[in-house]
Amino acid sequence: MTIKIRLARFGRRNAPFYNIVVAHARTARNSKPLEVIGTYDPIPKADPYDDSGRLHKDIKLDTLRAKYWIGVGAQPTDTMWRLLSMVGIMHPKYRDQKPRTAPPLPADIQKPEAASPST
Amino acid sequence: MPPRIPTNPSASSASALVRNSFASPCTSQSLPGGRAGFSTTPIRERSTNLRRAFLEWTRKVASHYRRPNSEGPSYLINGRPSPASRNRLRPFPLNRNFQSESVLNDQARELIWGKVMRKGESLKAVSAELGVDLTRVAAVVRLKEVEKDWVSKGKKLATPYSRAVLGMLPTKSLREGVENQPLEPINELHIHAATQKQLFWPTSESRQFTREDAAKAFHPKMLSADERVPHPELIQMEKDLLRNMSPNEARTRFINAAEESERKAAQRQMKKAMAEEQATTKINTPRFEFRFREVDSELVGKNGRAPNVVGWKYGMPHYDRKKGMVKIPTSVP
Repeated sequence: MTIKIRLARFGRRNAPFYNIVVAHARTARNSKPLEVIGTYDPIPKADPYDDSGRLHKDIKLDTLRAKYWIGVGAQPTDTMWRLLSMVGIMHPKYRDQKPRTAPPLPADIQKPEAASPST
Repeated sequence: MPPRIPTNPSASSASALVRNSFASPCTSQSLPGGRAGFSTTPIRERSTNLRRAFLEWTRKVASHYRRPNSEGPSYLINGRPSPASRNRLRPFPLNRNFQSESVLNDQARELIWGKVMRKGESLKAVSAELGVDLTRVAAVVRLKEVEKDWVSKGKKLATPYSRAVLGMLPTKSLREGVENQPLEPINELHIHAATQKQLFWPTSESRQFTREDAAKAFHPKMLSADERVPHPELIQMEKDLLRNMSPNEARTRFINAAEESERKAAQRQMKKAMAEEQATTKINTPRFEFRFREVDSELVGKNGRAPNVVGWKYGMPHYDRKKGMVKIPTSVP
C-alpha cells in the first residue's frame, strides 16, 4: 500500500494549522497516521518589532525521519514536495516555467561560422 | 317626568358661572400668596435659614477649600471637608474599594530612564538605589523608550490625560544624589509553587537545617530563598558590611556583582537565540521567508503522549478555547 507524506489539517476555522504526517494513502485525512514528523503553519507572520512588511512561515520538520521515509518509498504530496525541496530532501518538481534559451556558444566556435560565408 | 334645573336663588345661573371662570385668573386678588402674573414689582428678597447657614458655612468652614490643595483632592464627607492627607491613598471617596499606592511621577520615570539608558547603570543597581522594584524599573525604561520613539516620530501624546490621572493619584518623586525614601520593598521573595505544599520533614535536633536544606526538602532542584530573591547581591552586601568592610567598598562590590549578573543573563539569552538560529534553516522566496526548525519527532515519551510532542495530538481534546484558559499573550516577545 502506498505511503504518503502529506498534511493533516488541524487548527480552527480560518486558522489552519497542519501536521506533517506519514500515513497510508487510502486512510482519511485526519486519521491517526503512522508518524507525525513535523508541523506547517501556513499563516504568514511578521517578526515582533519588525515593521518592514516582510512575513515568514514557520515549519517544524524532523529531516532525518523525512529522509528515511523518502528512502523507503514514501510519496510526498505536491505541497509536501515543494516544502521538502526547499530543504534539499527532494528535487524541485515544478521548476519555473519560463521558456529557456540556449546558452551562448563559446567565442571560438561562433567565429568560424561567421567567417565561413565571406571565404 | 324629565329632570329640571333647580331653581335655587343662592346658586348663580349657568352663564354667570362661565363668566366667572374666565375672569378669575386675571384678577390678582383671587390668587393665594399675592403672586401676580403680570406684576412688575420685584420678588421679595428672601433669606431663609438654610441659605443663611450655607453662606456662613462657605465663609467659615469651607473657605480654605475654595482653592485646590497641593496634597491631593479634598472632598466633602457628611458636610465636612475631609483632610487631603486622608484622601491621599483613596482618591475617590465614594469608591471605597479603590485604594491607590503611590505611582512614580514623570520626573522620577525620566530619572530612571536616564540612569539606565544614558549612564548605562544596571537595572539592579538602579532598583536598589531608588527603592523601586526591579520589574517596575524595566517597565519604566521600556515605556519611556516607546514614549520617546513616539515623540521622535511626531506622534501625539495624551499628555492632558496623563496629567489629569497623575493629578488624582498620589505620586512619588525621586531625586538624584540623595537618599530617597523607597517606593516599595524591592527584595520580596516570590512564592514558588513547589513551596506551597505542606511538608513533614523530620531531622535530628543536632543537625543544622539551613535554607538550602529547606529548599532541597521542597524540590531537589530548588534554589534557596537567598538565591531566589530579586537581589541576592544585596544580601552579600549586608554580609560584607557585617564583616566590617567599608560601606564604599561594599557598595562598589554590589554594583559590580549586579553588572556581572546582568551580563550573565544577557549572555544566556544570546546563547539561546544563537542555538535557535542554528537549528533554523531560512529559505527566502519572493513572497515569504520559510523557516524550517529542526525537531526530533521521536521524543514522544513513554506512552507517546508527552506534552511537548511535535504537532497537534490525536484523541486528545484541545482546551485552548475552554472557559478559564488564558487567551491573551502573557509575555513580551
